[in-house]
Amino acid sequence: MATFDAVSNSDAAQSFAGRKKGVRPSDVLFHVVMTIYAMLFFLPLLWMAMSSFKTNGQIFQSPFALPTSWDWSVFATAWADGGIGQYAVNSFIVTAVSMVAILGLGSMAAFAFSRMKFRGSGLLLTLFTLGLLLPIQSYFIAQNSLFEYLHLKDTRWALIIPYTAMGLPLAIWLLKAYLDSLPKELFEAARIDGAGDLRIYWSVVLPLVRSGMATVAIFSALAAWNEFLLALLYIQNDELKTIPVGLLAFSTKYITDYHLLFAALTIVTIPMIVIYVLFHRRIAQGLTEGSLK
Amino acid sequence: MRLSRLASVVAALGASALLISGCSSSSGGGTTSASPSDQVLRIAMTEPGADVVKVWQQVKSEYEAAHPGWTVQYNFQNDDIYSTVGLPSLLSGGNAPDIYFEWSGNRLQTRVADGYAASIGDQLKAKGVTDKYVDGAFGGTTVDGKTVMLPLAKDVSNVIWYNKDIFAKLGLTAPTTWAEFDALNAKLKAAGITPYAMGNKDLWPAGNWNAHVLSRIVGEQAYADALNMKSPIDSADWVAAMDKMKQIHDSGWINDSVNSISDNEGYTLFFTGKAAMTPIGSWLVDVRNGQSPNFNMDWFNLPPIDGGKGNQQSVMGVSTGLVVNAKSAKIDQAIDYFSVLSGDDIQKAFVKAGGSSLSKAGAASGLNPLSERLLKLIETAPEIVSPPDTGYNLKVADALNTATSAILGGAMSSQDALTQAQQKIDALK
Amino acid sequence: MKPNRGWTPYLFVLPAFLVFAVAILLPVLATFGLSFTRWDGSGPLKFKGIANYTRALHDSVYISSYWHVLIYVVATIVLEVLLGLLLAGAVSARPGTTFYRVAFFIPVMLPLVVIAVLWSFVLNPDFGLLNAGLDAVGLGGWKRVWLGDPNTALLAISVISGWIFAGFYMAIFYAGFARIPKDIIESARLDGAGEWTIFRRMKVPLVRGITEIAVLLCVTGGIQVFDLVFVLTNGGPYNTTEVPTTYLVKTVFRDQDVGYGSALAVILTVVIALIGLLYSRLRRKTSDVEF
Repeated sequence: MATFDAVSNSDAAQSFAGRKKGVRPSDVLFHVVMTIYAMLFFLPLLWMAMSSFKTNGQIFQSPFALPTSWDWSVFATAWADGGIGQYAVNSFIVTAVSMVAILGLGSMAAFAFSRMKFRGSGLLLTLFTLGLLLPIQSYFIAQNSLFEYLHLKDTRWALIIPYTAMGLPLAIWLLKAYLDSLPKELFEAARIDGAGDLRIYWSVVLPLVRSGMATVAIFSALAAWNEFLLALLYIQNDELKTIPVGLLAFSTKYITDYHLLFAALTIVTIPMIVIYVLFHRRIAQGLTEGSLK
Repeated sequence: MRLSRLASVVAALGASALLISGCSSSSGGGTTSASPSDQVLRIAMTEPGADVVKVWQQVKSEYEAAHPGWTVQYNFQNDDIYSTVGLPSLLSGGNAPDIYFEWSGNRLQTRVADGYAASIGDQLKAKGVTDKYVDGAFGGTTVDGKTVMLPLAKDVSNVIWYNKDIFAKLGLTAPTTWAEFDALNAKLKAAGITPYAMGNKDLWPAGNWNAHVLSRIVGEQAYADALNMKSPIDSADWVAAMDKMKQIHDSGWINDSVNSISDNEGYTLFFTGKAAMTPIGSWLVDVRNGQSPNFNMDWFNLPPIDGGKGNQQSVMGVSTGLVVNAKSAKIDQAIDYFSVLSGDDIQKAFVKAGGSSLSKAGAASGLNPLSERLLKLIETAPEIVSPPDTGYNLKVADALNTATSAILGGAMSSQDALTQAQQKIDALK
Repeated sequence: MKPNRGWTPYLFVLPAFLVFAVAILLPVLATFGLSFTRWDGSGPLKFKGIANYTRALHDSVYISSYWHVLIYVVATIVLEVLLGLLLAGAVSARPGTTFYRVAFFIPVMLPLVVIAVLWSFVLNPDFGLLNAGLDAVGLGGWKRVWLGDPNTALLAISVISGWIFAGFYMAIFYAGFARIPKDIIESARLDGAGEWTIFRRMKVPLVRGITEIAVLLCVTGGIQVFDLVFVLTNGGPYNTTEVPTTYLVKTVFRDQDVGYGSALAVILTVVIALIGLLYSRLRRKTSDVEF
C-alpha cells in the first residue's frame, strides 16, 4: 500500500531556498506555458458560465463575446422549474447516507479484523479484498434483477445499498491498515480499565482513525455523488434522480434551450469547484490515496 | 489543520441527511415501495411539448376532482431513454406505472406476451369510451383479437417536411416524382442551401426515413420478411435500394453533423433555416408549436420511385396509445382515467395545443391543417409500413439502422453496410 | 491480545458483510449463473450451456468493442499517465505552483456526465467552442464533426478523458516526488544537473512503483469506461466507438437479453482480472523496491 503525506507548500518552497533570486527567462517561459495550459481548464468553464446569460442566437453567433445582460433568473428557473434543486437534494441524501453507512459499518468491521481473533476472519477479509478488484460490470446485471425482485428499484435504497457495498472494501482495507499500525498497548490499557468491545470501538478506535475516516469519507462521498451507471438503470422516477442522471434528463428535455442548459451545468459545477478549492489538499490526498489502495 | 474542520462538516452533513431521508421515508417520498392501498395512479409516457403537457395536467385535475383522495402522477421521459431503458425498468420496478405509453406492432406484442398489457376492450365499451372515437381509431391497438391500448395518435413516422419560405424564395414546389425530387435537391444545393437536416445520433430518425425508401423499392413484403429474419437483408435488391441514401451522402445533401446530434438538435437546424427539409414524423407539428410557433412549414409524402416493387403511395406510420398494466391493482381506476381523458373538452384542448386527437369531438374541432392532412394521409393510405424499431425485433432494427447511419456518414458502400447488418442478424438466430 | 469471546467479532463484521454479500457477492455469482441461460429478465429461464459464450466470439460488434477500448486505453496512458507525470515534474521543479495544481485537478471533482455534457457543447458542430475557436484563429479548414466522424470520435473521447484525469495522475506523481529525500535532489542540483536531467534520471526512476500502479489503474479503469462514451456518442457513429460496457448495457437493457449480457459481463470481468493478475506478476519480477 502506498500512502502519501500531503506536502505543504512551505516544504516544497524550502527546497528551493538555496537558489538565487531574480527573474530568469526560463521561469517566465514556464509560467506562460503553464498558464496557457491552465486556460484549457478555465476557458470551457468560463464559456459555460457566460453562456448562461446569453440567448440562443448569441451563443450561436458570438460564442466568445461577453453577455449583454446579466439575467440571474435563469439559475432560479433551472433550479426550481428544471428540477436541478430536487436532483441536488437527492444526490445529497444518497451520498450522505451511503457515506455514513460506509464509515460506520466499515470502521466496525475493520476494528474486528484488526483487533479480534475469530474463526473465518481470513476468509471474510479475502472476500472483502476481492471486492476491491471486482468491476461493477461483474454484478450489476443480477443486482438489477435482484432489486427488481425486492421492489427496491425507483427507491433511494436502490442506490444507497450498492454505493455502501461498493465503498466498504476500500474502507475496511484502509481503516484496518490504520488500526494495524497503532500500538497494541492502547487497546490493552483500555481493556484493563474494564472497557468492553463496544466501548473501545467508540472511545478508542473512532478517535484514532479520524484521519483514515476522512480519506474514506472523501473518496466514498465523491464516488457516490458522481456515480452514473446504476443511477441511470435503477432510478426512472424524476423526483428521485441524482445529479448525473438528472442533468442528462435535463439536457435532453431542454436540448434547444441552451442558456438554461448552461445555467444548469454551472449550478452543478461551481459549488463543487468552490468546495474543492477550499479543501483541495485534503481532497486530492483522499482521492489519490483511495485510488491507490 | 483543516482535517478536524472537515471532519465536523462531514459529520454534520451526514446527520442532517439521515434526518431528511428518515423524514421522507415516513412520508412516503419515494423510499417506500408500492403498497396496493395507495391511491396514486401512475402514468408513464414520453415527454410531449410544453403546451400538450398542460392538457395532461388538466386531465389530472379533472380526474382528481372526480375521485377524491386519488392523485395522478405523471412520469414524462425523453423519447429515446423511455423506449430503451426507461419503460422496461419502470415496468419491472417498484411503483410500476398503472398506465404507460406504447407503440403498436412488435413492441405492443411483447408487452402482451410478458403479461404487462391488460385486455380493456369490454370495459372501454361499457364506459362508452370506444364510441367517442372515430372509425378505425382502434386499428393497431389489438393483439390476438383483444384490445389492449387506448389510441392517442396515428403517427405518420416519415414525411418530408420543408421550409415554405426557402421553397418560395427559390420558386420550388413539392415534387411529385423521384426525378423532380432529385432535381429539387440539386437546385437547393446549388443555391448554397443544405437540402436536409437531421439528428441521427439515436439511429431511428434516418432509420425510419430510409426504411420507407427501402420498402418502396424492395416491396413491403420483402421488407417485412427481411426484418423478420425470413429472408436476407443484403440481396441485390436491397443493395440497390440502399444506394438512394448513399446518393444523399455523396451529393452532400445532408448536414455533416447528422450522426453526432440528437433528433431535437436536428429539428432546431431545420427551424433556424440551416436546411430546407427534414424527413421526420407528424410529431414535428407539436415540436414546432412549442419551439418556434411562427415557423412556416409544410410536408409531402415520399414521391413515387420508378421501378420500385412496393406500393408507391405507401405511408410509414404507427399507432401510439396508452396501455393499462395488467399487473396493476388499479385497472378500474385506469379505465376511469381513460373515460376522463376521452372527454370532448379534453380532446379539443389537445387539438388546440397542437397535439393530436382520434376522438370524434377532437377531430371535428378543427385540427391544425397540417395535422389534419397527415391524419387523412394515414387513414386513406393504401399500404402502411411499420418503422423498423417499433414494428420489428429491436436488434434487427438496430442492425439496419446502423447500416443506414454508416451510409449517411459515408463510411461504407451499400454492399458492405448491408453485409455487416446481415452478419449481425445471422448471429441472432 | 487475548482471543475474543464468542460472537462479538461477528457482530462487528456482520452488518458490513451482509450489505456486501447481498449487493455484490450474490449478484456476482448470479451473473455467472445467468450467463449460461437465455432469459429476458422476467419470463422463464432456459439453460443454454456455453451458447452465449460462443455467440460472443462471433459477435463482430462485441469483438470490435475491445479494439476500440484498446485504442482508448493506449491513448489515455499517454494523455493521462504520461502527461500527468510530465505535469508533476513541471510543478514540482519550482515553487509557487499551487495554482496550477489546483486548476489541473478540478475536472477530477466533477461528475463525468456533467463534463461529458459540457464537452458535447464544446465539440458541437454548429456552435461549439472548438469549431468557433478554429474559425477565429483562421484554421476553419480544421473544423470537424468531432463526435460524428469515426476518424475523430474515439480520439475526441480520449482527449476529453485526458483533460479530466491528467490532473489526477499529476497529483499522484506529485505526492510521490515529494517523498523523495530532498538532499538527494539538492546534491544533484549542486552538481550542476538541470531540472530535466533530475526529472528523467532521478525522479522518474524513483517513483517507478507509483508509475506501475498508475498504469494499472489507467488500464483497468479504461476498460470499464462508460459514462463518457454513453453521453458523448453512445457507441456511435455506427458502432465505431462501441466499448464493452456500452454494448453490455444495450444488450441487457434495450434488448432485454439478460443471459447473453451476463456472458459478456463475465468475459469483461475475466479480462480485467487477467490483466490485473498478469500485471502484478510482472511487477513482482521487475521491481523489488517500491517507493
